[in-house]
Amino acid sequence: MKRVLVTVLTVLVGVGIVVGVGLFSWWNEREPATLTAEVSGTMQTPQGELPHAQLELAIYPSTSEKVPGPRTTSAMQSDLLSEQPFFWPSSSIEVPANSAVTITFLQYGGPMGQIYNDFFAEVHGTMDGTMNWNGKSVDKIKATEATHTFTVHQYPEANESEFFLNVPLPINDSKAKMDKYGYAEKPQRVEVTFITGDPGKYVWNCQFPCGDMYQEFGGAMQTRGWMGGTFEVVA
Amino acid sequence: MSTETITQTATVFGDEVPQPRQYGKPGGIMRRLNMGTALVGGIGLAAIAGFVANALVPSGASTVTFAPVAPDIVYLAILVGWTIGFSVGIGAFVGPIRWLFGRDLTHADAEYMAGKDLGVKRYFKFTTDHKVVGVQYLVVFAFILGFGGLLAMLIRTELGVTWSEVFSPAFYNSMIGTHGIAMIIAMIISVMGPIANFIMPIMIGARDMAFPRLNALSLWLVVVAALCLVSTLFTGGIQDGWSVYQPLASQGPPAMLGYQMTIIVFAISTGVASVNLMVTALTMRAKGMTWSRTPIFVYGIFGAALMGLYAFPFFQYSQIMALTDRIWNTSFFNPLQGGSVWLYENLFWLLGHPEVYVIIIPGTVVLFELMPVFMRKPLFSFNFAVAGIVGVVALSGLVWAHHMYMTGWAPAANYPFMLSTEMISIPVGFLVLVVIGTMWRGLVWTRLPIMAVYAVIFNKMIGGVTGIYLSDVPVDQYMHGTMFVVAHFHYMLMGAGLFGAMAGLAFYFPKMTGRVLDERTASIGFWTAFTGFQITFMAMFVAGLQGMPRRVLQFDSLFNAPNWISTIGAYIIGLGMLIFAGAVVSSWISGDKAPANPFGSKSLEWQTPTPVPLENFAVLPVVTERPYNYGVPDPYEKELQEADQDLHPEEVGSR
Amino acid sequence: MTTMDTRPSGPPDEPEEPTNRPPSMHRVRNWLKRPYAKGIVGLTILLGILLLPVAWLILIPMRATGAPASEIMEGIEQTVFVFTLVSVPIVAFVYAVLVYSLLKWRKYKGDQIPEDESPAIRTNTIGVVLWTTMSSVLAFFLVVWGLIELAQITSNSYGTISADQQPGDEQSVIVNVTGQQWVWTFEYPQHDGVTTEVLYLPKDRPVYFNVTSKDVIHNFWLVELGVKIDANPGAITQTGVTPNKLGSFNLRCAELCGMHHAYMETSVEVVEGETFESVMREMGGGRTA
Repeated sequence: MKRVLVTVLTVLVGVGIVVGVGLFSWWNEREPATLTAEVSGTMQTPQGELPHAQLELAIYPSTSEKVPGPRTTSAMQSDLLSEQPFFWPSSSIEVPANSAVTITFLQYGGPMGQIYNDFFAEVHGTMDGTMNWNGKSVDKIKATEATHTFTVHQYPEANESEFFLNVPLPINDSKAKMDKYGYAEKPQRVEVTFITGDPGKYVWNCQFPCGDMYQEFGGAMQTRGWMGGTFEVVA
Repeated sequence: MSTETITQTATVFGDEVPQPRQYGKPGGIMRRLNMGTALVGGIGLAAIAGFVANALVPSGASTVTFAPVAPDIVYLAILVGWTIGFSVGIGAFVGPIRWLFGRDLTHADAEYMAGKDLGVKRYFKFTTDHKVVGVQYLVVFAFILGFGGLLAMLIRTELGVTWSEVFSPAFYNSMIGTHGIAMIIAMIISVMGPIANFIMPIMIGARDMAFPRLNALSLWLVVVAALCLVSTLFTGGIQDGWSVYQPLASQGPPAMLGYQMTIIVFAISTGVASVNLMVTALTMRAKGMTWSRTPIFVYGIFGAALMGLYAFPFFQYSQIMALTDRIWNTSFFNPLQGGSVWLYENLFWLLGHPEVYVIIIPGTVVLFELMPVFMRKPLFSFNFAVAGIVGVVALSGLVWAHHMYMTGWAPAANYPFMLSTEMISIPVGFLVLVVIGTMWRGLVWTRLPIMAVYAVIFNKMIGGVTGIYLSDVPVDQYMHGTMFVVAHFHYMLMGAGLFGAMAGLAFYFPKMTGRVLDERTASIGFWTAFTGFQITFMAMFVAGLQGMPRRVLQFDSLFNAPNWISTIGAYIIGLGMLIFAGAVVSSWISGDKAPANPFGSKSLEWQTPTPVPLENFAVLPVVTERPYNYGVPDPYEKELQEADQDLHPEEVGSR
Repeated sequence: MTTMDTRPSGPPDEPEEPTNRPPSMHRVRNWLKRPYAKGIVGLTILLGILLLPVAWLILIPMRATGAPASEIMEGIEQTVFVFTLVSVPIVAFVYAVLVYSLLKWRKYKGDQIPEDESPAIRTNTIGVVLWTTMSSVLAFFLVVWGLIELAQITSNSYGTISADQQPGDEQSVIVNVTGQQWVWTFEYPQHDGVTTEVLYLPKDRPVYFNVTSKDVIHNFWLVELGVKIDANPGAITQTGVTPNKLGSFNLRCAELCGMHHAYMETSVEVVEGETFESVMREMGGGRTA
């Protein structure tokens, strides 16, 4: 009897530890709250008239009192990432399916450098292959002119419809005025419109080396919520 | 002429041995040192080192690659402080320091350090008695196994929830990396720790190992390393798999330093342990125990220790080089600055392959020890068992680049490495032959240790055949980096390795703990885990064959079904292992007291009383017989001789 | 000197025991008369028959997404098939001994130490020689098959040809594959350097891959075509294939490369040669070489 009791106790304690650690880790590692694109009206597209949704994303070069940045999972992570860029207000993006979506990027600052692969300095996946940069329509920028990118690519699901979007985000002018938090007073404004297909799950990340460590792809570049996240096309 | 002031002598097994002067009570400062002081020392020195490092690093300092310097340096200082503080606090350096100060240890000191008359407290101190070290290893092994198992349950939960990410990708990557290295450490010490330390000296008729203080050191360094490993979960996680390939590792959070320190410390522990085991096996066998009278377990442990000794330094150096790459901007592995990623891969796999034999050989030779006892017949072909062990050890260092077939480092090298890898299947096959031969016509006493052998051989064959697939370069071109590889090595390391270690521990449980193991509950746990194991990893083979890569948390919906099945199987394994653990714990606490030789073994270690006295043998034994002297003459032998006579009548009479 | 017939003889109407059989057959027949011998041999044959279908079953999951799509993959499948067939006998024998032992040789239970009743067999020369020979022959066969297969696949992968020796002729296609955290890009130098993130390949034409990485180690794995090579930073590795099936296949990264390693997947579109050229032209790259 005692033997059975001790065994049952061991099993319960073991299961309890697993469940406890699991739940805590899941809660601690949760993605930021979803940012959903608002549908407002329709838009004429090469594929006909589609509902039009809009979304605004800002990119800040570091955290501050004004923009505290995404939630971190530990004090050490706060310490490591405080000087690193992040997308705001959320990295979990949701857009409607079979629609025309316009995303406006407000780029408040980022490091100098060079995109390693010129492919990501070009605009890919938008409705007409271009992006609107401060009022001008361009289809690519110089690799040294970028400071971030917004690159959406596939979930490992062969049955999903293909979706690939690449928007290079230009660096602020070196003579641009910065406010006291280190953010540009006049951010670079980039607007892209693309057409979504069937519902599906995708991920996005930045392809510009704006993190730290080897090839500047560490730190925030490898942290969800900062320079990478989910991109869901929902019905 | 001045005479020495040394006038004391001590009676050591009937001989009067001159002793150095006894300063203070026996044990000296050792009397006050235990795990508590070790923790205080470790945490204290870690904190001090951390503060000092923090103060010394200029505020806001960053590396060439814009990473903040402070977290890395502070964390490294904490780890080094922890290592040194804990080791000092547990009393690892008492011997050398006292020797430095001219206050050599006396016999009374040595007896104190061996835990004489200390009761239960000796298990929480730096105790040199190999039996205490063996039990300490058993507990440490159980904790590390549990830690790895917890991570495994979380990994499988993530893989089972196929419709979304449960944990973030970075956290998932750190779970699999930490699980991998924790299980590798646990499996290396699984038999070499508890059983080799506790049983082997008694098995060869010795009083202790060759270097008792190094023995205790090797154990406490594992404790230090294990806690370095656990700390990585709180400093960002080892996000790079257990192999920590460069240059990905140099993008990792400070936890990578934790991994490097874990390995550096663990390599010292295994180096020390290997030397200890090898010298003990070579020099401390009892009178009359020639090599042909030495139990095969000693050969296996010697071989595994030899492999560990030559191979672990590669791993240690690779981690030291990775550490300097990170902290001092050296560029061993940084291709942008002239380094080579292939250098890292080679150094890693130069350990990575012999290491799996370090795990599997002890697991196999412990089966060789228990099979004759439960079949009441000798080990089949002792010479072939030795040949198998020698063959594996010799070839183990020549096969490492089969993990690198697909790296493109030297395509022409794929041919000879394929040859050597296929060749190593022959000595491994000898080991299977010995098991099958021992099983042949043996009447089985169906106790848990021997029943586990069936499970081990079943798994070993599957692991071996799938290994043959992977050793072939064209097949590896499909299978490398898929879940097929994961299932293969789980079959070998867990299916054959862990279950073999569990069989050995069930066998030696009465001698090591003094209690009888509740075999009914333990069997329920074992077979539940076995069933879950088959479900989990057979489904994993299917997922791998379908094309599921390794180390991914989300995948094509094609792989959903095998992953759901694997996850359910994994939960069953967890349940089974917990039941087994429960049986072990309850038997240890309140089981029946075990007789000295409950299985009727003729081996030396079972001829001692239980609990085994401090000196093992009152009088050291003299060995006069071959081991495994069980069984009766084969009735068919007589028949064969008679049949021969029938066939050659001219030998009987002539025409 | 008189000769006496001292040969043993049975009753007159029974044939005599033949004495002209070679001794080894005599021994084999005598050995087979033993109860366990028949049992184990029978079980080996039974288990062998049960395990044989694994050689075919193992190919089913491999073909789940349209494989094989090249001669390389066909060679790999053939090797898996043959290796399984060749491993079946030894696995069947070992499992037969395990099963027979569990069925017929279990004898004692409980706490009492049993009597010594098993035969004290310390060695059996015939068994050991047989096993060593069979395992060596098996290993030798696997090695020879493997080496031949490897040479074939290497030549099918154009793997020994370095970049400057790749034929830039009409037929062949050169693709510069760049692995990078966490997107694959493909550049077609013969088509004005057109760069895509989806891999387009022409059917029945040799394709040469020059694979490298911009940051960490990735692994370029064309699943159904059986192509796999690491993408190393600071080095270019070569491989190649001739796709022989149309369809949409998978390219997965098979080496952990950071946060989005699981998402570093794209599709491989194998299309007819003309379709391939028109796709390239559409993307802005007419054929320049």
